[in-house]
Amino acid sequence: MRRAAAGAAATLLLALVLASQSWSELPPRARVLATFAQKELAVRRLGGSGTAFDRKFFSFLENVRRRIPDGTAAVVLRPAYRDIHLYLASYALAPLPVYVDSFSDHWVLPKDWLIAAYGEDPTYDFGVFARLPEGVLLAPPQR
Amino acid sequence: MTLVFAIVQVGAILLAACAVGWVLSAAFISPGSRFRLERVGWSFALGCGTLIAFVPASLGIGIRPGWIGFLILAALLVAVSRQLAPLTLPSPPARGRKEIGGGEFDRPTGDNSPLLPAGEGWGEGRSRALLKVLIVLGVAAYALRALTEPMWANDFIAIWGLKGKTIFGAVGYPERLRGLEFAHPEYPLGLPLLYAGISFLTGRWDDHAMALLFPLFQVATLLVLFGWLRRRGASLAVAGLAAATVAWFEPLYSGFLTGMAEVPLAFCALLFGAALADALDDMDTGALCRLAFAAALIAATKNEGMFLAVAGSLLALIFGKGARWKIALAALGPALLVRALHLPWRGRLPLADFEWNLFSMERVWDSIAAAMLLLGWATWASLALLLVLIALGDRVPAGNRLLLLAACAAVAYLVIPAFAVRGPAWLIETTLLRTSAALGPIVAAGIAVRFRGLKPPPSRYTQQG
Repeated sequence: MRRAAAGAAATLLLALVLASQSWSELPPRARVLATFAQKELAVRRLGGSGTAFDRKFFSFLENVRRRIPDGTAAVVLRPAYRDIHLYLASYALAPLPVYVDSFSDHWVLPKDWLIAAYGEDPTYDFGVFARLPEGVLLAPPQR
Repeated sequence: MTLVFAIVQVGAILLAACAVGWVLSAAFISPGSRFRLERVGWSFALGCGTLIAFVPASLGIGIRPGWIGFLILAALLVAVSRQLAPLTLPSPPARGRKEIGGGEFDRPTGDNSPLLPAGEGWGEGRSRALLKVLIVLGVAAYALRALTEPMWANDFIAIWGLKGKTIFGAVGYPERLRGLEFAHPEYPLGLPLLYAGISFLTGRWDDHAMALLFPLFQVATLLVLFGWLRRRGASLAVAGLAAATVAWFEPLYSGFLTGMAEVPLAFCALLFGAALADALDDMDTGALCRLAFAAALIAATKNEGMFLAVAGSLLALIFGKGARWKIALAALGPALLVRALHLPWRGRLPLADFEWNLFSMERVWDSIAAAMLLLGWATWASLALLLVLIALGDRVPAGNRLLLLAACAAVAYLVIPAFAVRGPAWLIETTLLRTSAALGPIVAAGIAVRFRGLKPPPSRYTQQG
């Protein structure tokens, strides 16, 4: 009796675990894997879940990352979006420190820092280090 | 670089680390067949430990972490491990010994395990094959979930991955990480150092290929679970059912948790619990060393690891008989040492999410109420079945202790939200399911071993004193 009860409970538990699987997600995952496996890492991340909240923002970060010159000490992210933007920017640009633009008007950008301005398209060239499809990379004028 | 090549590269590094771990494991795991499956799991843990340790060791002596640093540390560890006394196992109890699948193991004669199939026909052959297929498919399903895309969970991006990538990119631990509140400077650095260690050896940061670690953590967990249960006398059916259930345990082995600390914590908690149970039952002379290593690893993985080490040492003091202080020290000492080593990198930032003066019993009840509301019917049904299985099992000390250890952690997960700044419900809703899921393997081991606990040989310690 005890053997039967234990066997039934254990089998039922396993069945419950199997039944509560998200089976439907497995075929799409296999398709995504097959489609993206040949692409470069940044493209795989761009198409993934971690950037789904704002894929254009990740594209911007990747463009920033590829244009950051040697000797850059930090990047200021502008404007300050949600925390999740800061987290992704900090990760994508690591090991460079990333700060959100919360500095006072009198604050002077150190000469080895850059401003990554997402969504901005300035009409002036003063301080523009690189124009990107999703924004602009700004540097102190002397750089 | 294509994904396949990058995964092969990471896999080769992990295989090399595992080979180092295999050699090291001879110091505290018997080479006999009774330990074979477990030894593979422990070797993986030791390999990961070496990958973690060579980064701060290299940085400490001022060299860039790389293959030379890794190989020097591995050689040193192997040399030290060779100096340790050779292991001896107590004689197997005078019970029946059977040969199954070419491996020798001990189990009582007159097999009457409650979960063994009764008839010879349905018998072991078919059920064994079915369980094997289920376990392999469970591993394959998790491998697909883990490797679909680069690791992406918020905590990976903001904490574990960020620290690992920064250590790799900066070739050090920059001062600013000590004050970066959202990256939780107070969290242990085992996982970031593991990511950084692999990256130093591949020469690049690839957060997609490194996801391979996670299915391997799962495989190592299953090997230790199955091997430990078999060594402790569980039948193939019991050990296989436990392993199959854990292999498909999606609350733990999900795409979302890949990259976060729960999957490695579940593995380390099982290592710690199994070694603690072995030490308390005085199963072999290597148990104390295994316990000490697992304690260090668990404390390096997550803050809960430190809690488990404290809980384990208390259990040792209660149940350890003549060896209580020795076992308690092995369970807690290395964890405290890891904590001390982390201090210089920890910073002095106060905890952002908790305030100690917020605690009240009312908030504890709020926490429990939030947990009740969070669980769906399938979870309730699963918990009910677990209770039925606990009730039907024998009183096996090793199983009881593993369940006690898991219960301590579960209680902590319900009480700690009472300190949460944003309220108990917030912490319960954002963390309870994943943190408690990490207890899955240790609970499975604790329940399954109660269906055939091998009575331990008489304790050397109690005999002596």
